Amino acid sequence: MALRDLTTDYAGRGTPMFRLALKTGVLTVLTLGFYRFWMKTRMRRYYWSAIRPGGQPLEFTGRPTEMLTGFLTAVVVLAFYIGLVNLILMFLSFSLFGGDAPAYLLSFLGLVPMIFFAQYRARRYILARTRWRGIRFGLEPGVKGYVWRASLWWIVTILSAGILWPVKTFELEKYRTDRTWYGDQRFEQTGGRWSLMGAMKHVYIAAALIGAGSAAAALLEQPIWFVATAMGAAWAPLGLAHWKAESFKRLTEGKRLGEAGFRCRPRGGRIVAIYLLGGLAIAGLLIALLFALGMGIGILLSVFDPELIAQGFDDLASLAALPAWVATMAGLTAYFAAFLFWGVLREVFITMPVARHLAESTEIVNPDALNAIRQRPRDEFAEAEGFADALPLGDGI
Amino acid sequence: MTGAGAVLEAFADYVDGESAVVHRVALRLSPDRLTIALPDGTAFDWMADELREVPDQADSAGLVLAPAGDMLHRLHVGTGEIARLIRLNAPALRRRPPVENKGKIAAWAAGAIASVSLIIFVLVPVMANQLALLLPPAGERALGDATFEQVRTALGDADFLPVELCETPEGLAALTKMEARLDVGPDLPYPVTVAVLDHDLVNAFALPGGRVILFRGLIEAAENPEEVAAILAHEIGHVVNRDPTRDALRLAGSIGVLGLIFGDFAGGTVMLLLANQLINAKYSQAAEIGADDYAHAVLTEAGLPPAALGTFFERLRAEHGDEAGWAAHFSTHPRMVERVDAALEAQARAEAAGGAAVPALSASEWRDLRSICGPNSASEQGAAGRVGRQ
Repeated sequence: MALRDLTTDYAGRGTPMFRLALKTGVLTVLTLGFYRFWMKTRMRRYYWSAIRPGGQPLEFTGRPTEMLTGFLTAVVVLAFYIGLVNLILMFLSFSLFGGDAPAYLLSFLGLVPMIFFAQYRARRYILARTRWRGIRFGLEPGVKGYVWRASLWWIVTILSAGILWPVKTFELEKYRTDRTWYGDQRFEQTGGRWSLMGAMKHVYIAAALIGAGSAAAALLEQPIWFVATAMGAAWAPLGLAHWKAESFKRLTEGKRLGEAGFRCRPRGGRIVAIYLLGGLAIAGLLIALLFALGMGIGILLSVFDPELIAQGFDDLASLAALPAWVATMAGLTAYFAAFLFWGVLREVFITMPVARHLAESTEIVNPDALNAIRQRPRDEFAEAEGFADALPLGDGI
Repeated sequence: MTGAGAVLEAFADYVDGESAVVHRVALRLSPDRLTIALPDGTAFDWMADELREVPDQADSAGLVLAPAGDMLHRLHVGTGEIARLIRLNAPALRRRPPVENKGKIAAWAAGAIASVSLIIFVLVPVMANQLALLLPPAGERALGDATFEQVRTALGDADFLPVELCETPEGLAALTKMEARLDVGPDLPYPVTVAVLDHDLVNAFALPGGRVILFRGLIEAAENPEEVAAILAHEIGHVVNRDPTRDALRLAGSIGVLGLIFGDFAGGTVMLLLANQLINAKYSQAAEIGADDYAHAVLTEAGLPPAALGTFFERLRAEHGDEAGWAAHFSTHPRMVERVDAALEAQARAEAAGGAAVPALSASEWRDLRSICGPNSASEQGAAGRVGRQ
């Protein structure tokens, strides 16, 4: 008898996530960024353990110390490149072209392959440190093939003015998925090169409306055509949410793990709602925070310069009443508080709800095939995700 | 009794780390151990003091257990009495595993610090010094023009307009006369371009390609034209020594490396600027003394008193105090006492050589220079406002 399909529970909750993100974020700021490896590890443990296919949580088993070592490795390599190459490029750029734009361009182009390299290595590290039902995931070595494919497909995407973005997404996902293992069972990405094009249709419509509306308004000199542009601009975010949900669905349902597979029913409307309501909540709370900070500074001012209340606060010059160190401390606190809360609230109101929706709408089909899967050896991976950490790649999971 | 001493039985999920099968196991909690019985009838014990909890779990009511030092076995205990009792019974549930590879981490850390220090403090400055001399004059000018616009925008008001240039014809004429008096043409591959910006800062600086910027605040703080001439000579000294070009190139090399180290944590940019300021201050102190020396020589040659540089700094020091202690590290200027002394020594040498003392500008030219930003410049209103408040 076949087992029932495994649905996925999601155990993440706003309050504990807020507490964890805030605590680790404050520690990161106080340690000048040194704690961020611990922060990342702890946040990942939480996010991973929240996802429970068939009631069994994922586990992230990475260690902060190995991330630190990996980061140090990357710094040694990258510091030479970034320091010396940028300096020489800047020199050549001003010598030959009399401007800094060529230097920035070349410096960025030189970093692009390194970014692809870092992405693949980070994925390998993360999968090697992810377990479910006691079994490790893994990604085969293959970074060279990834770097040239990613470069190629990015060039194709740019040359096609973004139209072939779905092809790039599929090809790179296929390269990674076909090298991904769960225990001794290899994943396979099915579906063709063109299978994601349909998921992008609303973005194409929005782009066409914007482009055609602007062109018609300019050529016919009739501003009424800007209505089409406005419609396109309103359509675009909805189209992007649809792409996010639909491409996730198609890629996930196209994945095979031996005899097991996936069913996935995410809704674009839900993603839009999360971004909209989450964005509103974040904006409201941040405004409240800034207001509180302003009140705090006002109280400080009136303590140091009581006359100010009688005279009124004309301009920023009135801030001169504060002793320099108080002003510096207040400024630094406000600056870091705003950044910190922005990051924390984004986790609580955007990242986690999206993860919840994607997890809860995914099921594992034919799960009894999983019982035959055996453990794979540990991937000792000294460099961890150091390159991704040193290069500004954002927090891709 | 349901206390810690009781024996309690319950069920949980167990994975052995060898296959993906989830075993439903029977648990038996005794005071000193947890007995786990598999469906096939075999059973084993995990001792209470060896039980460890997997941390940071989203499901805070349940419990994920592993024996100490074991990488693979996991026991998923759901919510309920059993989880509560295990928490009571296991004394070291939250003890962390010892940090492995301490030596390796320390070695990598030392290697990374050494390599980054080598790059920032040795390689980048050495290369910047060499390349600054090789940069063609046109390239230097382009670099200076780009920086000039950035400075004007950065100092602009809340309405994001760049700071105004000050250029009344009479004021410019006075300024030109002062530049001509200092006559530095032969030392440079490009002409010196002096600009006055309408800003309260008591400051002046040089940019690559022979651009020198004076702020209105500085001209107002000077008591006589000789002081302005002395500052001008000092900034021209920076231009002749190619200091701004070196600085710009060094910045291009070191800013990316610093960004690398501080990563993308909230507000990393502040750390970046602070650290960069610290690094630059070290080089600039030597550069400032070099520019002072140049200014003393040029002033003496032009028959102007080198001591003017000293009197100006002396007055700044009286108003703002010397930068002592930790703040001195963040300052790009060497301690003023030393600079004032150096200026006085140069003055003594100039007098010994019998330098002629012709004023840098006539009284009317000095008035013109002081109103180079227009007769009713914002400063006077601003200054009046400030006086009114005190």
